[in-house]
Amino acid sequence: MKCADLQSDVLVDLVDGRLDATHQRDVERHLEACAECRALVIDLRTIRAAAFMLDRREPAAATWLRLQSAMATEPRPKGRLLWMPTRANLPVWLGAAAALILATVIGVLPLLNRNVTSTEDPAAAATINEPTVDSVAAEFAKAEEHYQKAIDDLQTIANKDTGELDPQVAAVLQKNLTVIDQAISESRAALKTQPSSTNAQDGLFDALRTKVALLQQTVELINEMRKGNQAEAGRRAQTLSQ
Amino acid sequence: MVTIQAIKLSTSPDMAPSNPSGDVRNADLELVGRIRSGDASAFEAVYRQHATRLYNLASRMMGAHGEADDLLQDIFLLAYRKLGSFRGESSLGTWLYRLAMNHCLDVLRNRQTRMGQQTDSLDEPDAPPVASPVPLVGAVSRIDLERAIEALPPACRAAFLLHDVEGFGHQEVGTMLGISEGTSKSQVHKARMRIRYYLAHGVKKES
Repeated sequence: MKCADLQSDVLVDLVDGRLDATHQRDVERHLEACAECRALVIDLRTIRAAAFMLDRREPAAATWLRLQSAMATEPRPKGRLLWMPTRANLPVWLGAAAALILATVIGVLPLLNRNVTSTEDPAAAATINEPTVDSVAAEFAKAEEHYQKAIDDLQTIANKDTGELDPQVAAVLQKNLTVIDQAISESRAALKTQPSSTNAQDGLFDALRTKVALLQQTVELINEMRKGNQAEAGRRAQTLSQ
Repeated sequence: MVTIQAIKLSTSPDMAPSNPSGDVRNADLELVGRIRSGDASAFEAVYRQHATRLYNLASRMMGAHGEADDLLQDIFLLAYRKLGSFRGESSLGTWLYRLAMNHCLDVLRNRQTRMGQQTDSLDEPDAPPVASPVPLVGAVSRIDLERAIEALPPACRAAFLLHDVEGFGHQEVGTMLGISEGTSKSQVHKARMRIRYYLAHGVKKES
């Protein structure tokens, strides 16, 4: 893959977290080798995350009262609906809606391609082919930093809006986060005593990944609630509670 | 160039449905049925469910010039008047957003006409900025971001607000704006690239 292959449709899908796995891997390999594209993708993701976290302003209370007065002079709306409400319809949400910003934060992780080489940039490929203790440690630290950044971003959003959650769901979420945090602490402790242990590294990444996924689900739920999709929000809350 | 006319939204019943789920559709149809039968609390329920998001959307569409509360009232009054044309093909939310965006674009067009500008230049007020060579560092200031959004051309501002701020998918954005899913993606991407440029270089104030 080359810089020119990162056209707008690829970039937008990448930032939205909607690239298929194969394509995503190709892009990630390119991002590992190309600082300019990497900076672009990070910026676009930052913009998207910041946009999602913009303040939500409330309309003035008087607006509804003024609207009510204005409506009082209007004739009652008439018309014909195409369908009548029925309880037989299945609660399936097809809205591709959960445009989940931070679903994509983890997309850039160059970390797990430890055994993958890029053929586009010989210098970069050579570096990857000949790992040193320092380079592996640096790569690991960078990978952990990426996860932590994703967690911090998601946590910011989740903390901001968890007040909107049902208290029972919020309690289950908190309990799960505590368990995951414990696993992260234990993995970090294991890694401290055995810095080169692949098992310890994988254990830490698994725990970090789990935390990202859980926070991501929380943001998805909040997103559906904001959109007023009660049925989908209920389904996601149920998944989260499990 | 995508002109503002190209994203003029249709509230006619023949537009593509947005595939509301059974529960969503049932709830919407029940509410609309109650409003038509004169239940005043039903319209208030619609208002309470959608007012905050529509308020945010409309105020950001109009930027610093907008009187958002008046605009919100106009949007809901318009919705009440047009509720007769709602037939349940899309969700009530989609229908409302489409109507709101249409109204905002009308107001923007009228404003520009009053200012003596060409209406179809609304989408491209200046040459599109190219990719910024200066990467952003750290967090984005909320004020800078709001300013950058306000500086976007209306077409990509609408898509960006619906997708990145309000969290709708491209398919829904396409339905709301009367454009294809692909066009929604391209408008959102254009908006992000412009915002990146504005954040790095500042927003050029037009006189």
